[in-house]
Amino acid sequence: MLTAITRAFRTPDLRNKLLFTLGIIALFRLGSVLPTPGVNAQNVALCLDQAQAGDAGNIYGMVQLFSGGALLKLSVFALGIMPYITASIILQLLTVVIPRLEALKKEGQAGTAKITQYTRYLTIGLAVLQSTAFIALARSGQLFPSCKEQVLLSQEIFPLVTMVITMTAGTAVIMWLGELVTDRGVGNGMSILIFTQVIAVFPSELINIYRLSPFKFVVVMVVGVVMIGVVVFIEQAQRRIPVQYAKRMVGRRMYGGTSTYIPLKVNQAGIIPVIFASSLLYLPQLLVTLFGNSSQPNAVIEWLAQNMVRGDHPIYMAVFFLLIIFFTYFYVSITFNPPEVADNMKKYGGFIPGIRPGRPTAEYLNYVLTRLTAAGAPYLGVISLIPIIALAVAGASQNFPFGGTSILIMVGVGLDTVKQIESQLQQRNYEGFLR
Amino acid sequence: MTRVGRWIRRFLEKPGSVDLAPFQRIAAEAAGREAEAGRRDELRPAVVDPAWVGTADFCAVMREAARRALGQRPYDVQLAGMLALLEGHVAQMATGEGKTLVGAMAAAGYALRGARVHVVSVNDYLARRDAEWMGPLYETLGLTAGWVAETSTPEERRKAYACDVTYAAVSELGFDVLRDRLCTDPAELVVPAPEVALVDEADSVLVDEARVPLVLAGAADAGTALPEMAALVRRLSRGYHYTIDEEGRAVFLTPKGIDTVEKALGVDIYEHPGVVTQVNLALHAHTLLTRDVDYIVRDGKVELVNTSRGRVAALQRWPDGLQAAVEAKEHLQASETGEILDSITVQGLVHRYPRVCGMTGTAVAVGEQLREFYDLSVVVVPPNRPCVRVDEPDRIFATAEDKEGALLDEIETRHATGQPILVGTLDVAESERLAEALAARGLSATVLNAKNDAEEAQIIARAGRRWALTVSTQMAGRGTDIRLGAGGPGEEEPGDEEEVASLGGLYVIGTGRHDSSRLDDQLRGRAGRQGDPGGSVFFVSGQDPLLTVYAPDQSLPPADADGAVRKPEAHALVAHAQRVAEGVNLEIHRNTWRYTRLLERQRAEVLEQRDRVLRGDTGARALESACPERYRELCETAGEEVVERAARQIVLYHLDQCWTEHLGFLSDLREGIHLRALGRLNPLDEFNREAVPAYRAMLDEVERRSRETFEKADVTRDLADQGLKRPTATWTYLVQDNPFGSEWDRVFNRVAGALRGRKR
Repeated sequence: MLTAITRAFRTPDLRNKLLFTLGIIALFRLGSVLPTPGVNAQNVALCLDQAQAGDAGNIYGMVQLFSGGALLKLSVFALGIMPYITASIILQLLTVVIPRLEALKKEGQAGTAKITQYTRYLTIGLAVLQSTAFIALARSGQLFPSCKEQVLLSQEIFPLVTMVITMTAGTAVIMWLGELVTDRGVGNGMSILIFTQVIAVFPSELINIYRLSPFKFVVVMVVGVVMIGVVVFIEQAQRRIPVQYAKRMVGRRMYGGTSTYIPLKVNQAGIIPVIFASSLLYLPQLLVTLFGNSSQPNAVIEWLAQNMVRGDHPIYMAVFFLLIIFFTYFYVSITFNPPEVADNMKKYGGFIPGIRPGRPTAEYLNYVLTRLTAAGAPYLGVISLIPIIALAVAGASQNFPFGGTSILIMVGVGLDTVKQIESQLQQRNYEGFLR
Repeated sequence: MTRVGRWIRRFLEKPGSVDLAPFQRIAAEAAGREAEAGRRDELRPAVVDPAWVGTADFCAVMREAARRALGQRPYDVQLAGMLALLEGHVAQMATGEGKTLVGAMAAAGYALRGARVHVVSVNDYLARRDAEWMGPLYETLGLTAGWVAETSTPEERRKAYACDVTYAAVSELGFDVLRDRLCTDPAELVVPAPEVALVDEADSVLVDEARVPLVLAGAADAGTALPEMAALVRRLSRGYHYTIDEEGRAVFLTPKGIDTVEKALGVDIYEHPGVVTQVNLALHAHTLLTRDVDYIVRDGKVELVNTSRGRVAALQRWPDGLQAAVEAKEHLQASETGEILDSITVQGLVHRYPRVCGMTGTAVAVGEQLREFYDLSVVVVPPNRPCVRVDEPDRIFATAEDKEGALLDEIETRHATGQPILVGTLDVAESERLAEALAARGLSATVLNAKNDAEEAQIIARAGRRWALTVSTQMAGRGTDIRLGAGGPGEEEPGDEEEVASLGGLYVIGTGRHDSSRLDDQLRGRAGRQGDPGGSVFFVSGQDPLLTVYAPDQSLPPADADGAVRKPEAHALVAHAQRVAEGVNLEIHRNTWRYTRLLERQRAEVLEQRDRVLRGDTGARALESACPERYRELCETAGEEVVERAARQIVLYHLDQCWTEHLGFLSDLREGIHLRALGRLNPLDEFNREAVPAYRAMLDEVERRSRETFEKADVTRDLADQGLKRPTATWTYLVQDNPFGSEWDRVFNRVAGALRGRKR
């Protein structure tokens, strides 16, 4: 892989693309640490330290993860790419409901371009909402409930509006940066930016751990590297089901064996089940926060507060694990529809050697997929639980950097991008006998 | 306001945005130098400074040349269009504005700069007509022009390509390039190195036909279809043993059918891929191909019928054993099967030229594609006289019967006034049906369906006469304009132009909207040339394929009592369906392009190596370093020259052979690559990741086989015994990329399906 990168840097246009991407990433990080005008940066830093020591930071867990810590720093890029992602999901959902959007989607590129335009408008709308809500929180001091310092320099309306505008503009710039990377850089811009934010917190957190105890640092590093290795290995693992297209006569000599197959991944569902499961587990936390303070505690709420809020509680872990397994099967079943695949193969004259087309093929695919997922689902569960278990064992540092979600995102995006670089690189390295 | 708007459009590089004003200024300046140019004896300057081409003086010279040679004085807009072409843009000029002359002047400009120009036409007839028509212009400027047609011999072709300007149909050009790559002797080469391509009808060549692969196929082994297989499938019955899909394109065995076949053959067929192929081919030949519709049997041979053109395609053959299966079905002797030796897309062909420009009547609509795929910009050249044609809104009907009735009524009433009518149909069958329906009403129509380009050009030129009633397909009579009240070219007769104009000029009726609005505009553009009066209207029904295929789950608003639908939603729906169709076609184009890009690069590289082997001693040097002892030994016995020639033959042979196998591998790979999307992999990346190592393996294989042959071969004997197979056939095919949709599409389709299912 290292040789691939050095080779990539020796190819002029690929080098330009890589440098361009790195430049965008640097810009993006700069905006993520640059405080918004009107923010008292010193007090924010103070409050952040306090929050990290306590467990209040937890509330924003997923959002913090995707914003690379920029959110609580109240920086220009505080909102990160979440508004854009939310907007795309909302629009995708709306295409099912609104006939006009459905019609646009069917019109191919021109229609999709219009939908993208709507997504951008919606992103701006969401950014205005989120930044307003966020600054209101900061102003009332609820952003860091345990911190007594004032994080804003002024309470007046004009500076506050300036901050909202700045953060909204920041979101628009992030959107543009992402599209620039997709167009002129390497990889998918949005994924690269998520990747950047996920790994951006590593250095500071690792240094924190090192300061606490060098021994723990070594343990964390070893566990982290082993986990990354395992994830890379399993993410690449696939069962290849050979497919034969019967239109052509066989018997033509070919090098390299068969290349027509259905690659079924051990982790066919990707990261979505983990995100679903963790989102669902925020619900008990939310309920407890909302109703936990009432004078007459409800029995259910009390039970939730005892068993479902603390991440190191065995019941919490068990529920988390089971939810991941459930969502893995659920997600695989909606993204991979064996009868549809079998029908499509039949239509184009394809079949799996030894298996009849149509229903037997669908049944076979289903059988293989179910058994693969039986391994893939526990894998996702274990990877997600490791940081929580490590937390329980070590008992100390709240921010174990190699969270399951982080590693899955990191490895996923990393692998895709390297594959893309490789594919571009291979196209221009021909040597041969007739030089 | 409009100026600001235009400026912003140009800033955003919107199609049609290259500014014409500088060209117009130069063209206007030419008027002042006209008289001076008219006095020159020799129009071509003794020494041509490349910078002179494109100046006002150059424009004046061109104008004078056209006047002397053709008796035509080019308008300012024509000179502006020529200058746009010389800058390497695509010029959009309406029908009848004299595109041929503009193209010829631009070609002459490039030729005067010292470049070799290929004018790419749509068909042989136009290539020949334009070359002969513009010949005097080139002569006046001291240039030569030639043309190539399907019937030209290699000698004629070489002579034509040696001219400064060569006119050729895009397919002929492509086939010449392909055939050249089989030469084993530099003297056999036909096409010189590509320099400038000037594409006529640029939108149809560069966009509509861009993805059509031109295939060079050669005869391989004899076909192996078994007569028993044909006999077996004859016993099967439709519905019980096999089913045919809705589009009539594919046939599958039912489980019952599989049982029957397996019982008859005594094997489990899906364990033996070869047997499945045999059964499927036999079944395909038996059920989907009909004698005297898809093919005819003549002199013991199966000959294909090209259904879109309605004529026998003598050289064409079905691919991959289907030919043999049809022969078995007809109890004929199996002929040899075709093997794809090489293929090139129209787009790949055009990309070979360092300089490309073009002209067409409808370019703005595809401006973005021209920029994406060819890096070309569009310049809109205004007509010399403004267009006054009246384009009426579509007439939409609920059913095909209502549409046809209204269409026939409209033709009948219009025709009664004497106004010339041109009816544009979507395909050959429809034009014949319509002519019959007209005949039943006592109207006789002239039918054109792109079967004979030359004859049809004559007929269509007469379509502007009084009482003329012409029924034509999109393809027919391209490149010929319809003058009101005029006869065909060469028939000088006094026209009744004014009388026809007073009747309203030519009236164009479309029997259905095309898959793209651009094709509609081309049809409309046949009327109202050079400021003539004219009109156009399209008849659409809810049962037209455009609506049933591209907007299947939406229906038209209810019709009025006479069957017509007059609600604005109906027009919106037709426009939507057309946009969906355009989107689908663009997606197919982009996919083909993405998948062929790597292939084109590999081909270019192989051809470059081939060329070096062909013209030099690269082959000999490579073999000398690969097996030095053998080389020395052979040189001693046979002499260096003989060995070098033999080495060239051996390497060329294996290079061609391995390239053919590589192409076969790539097309197999391409066929199943969409399955990778199921494992959340990007099919295009996966394709490239497999294709590149395969290419390397191919080069190694060339070396291995060349060495093997070189070690064994008797270089003193004729090596051409194992000679290369000559091309015998052409055919085209297409594959879809990801029929499953993206992962999100799949999730939402399932959710949407579940929601809708519950509602019902």
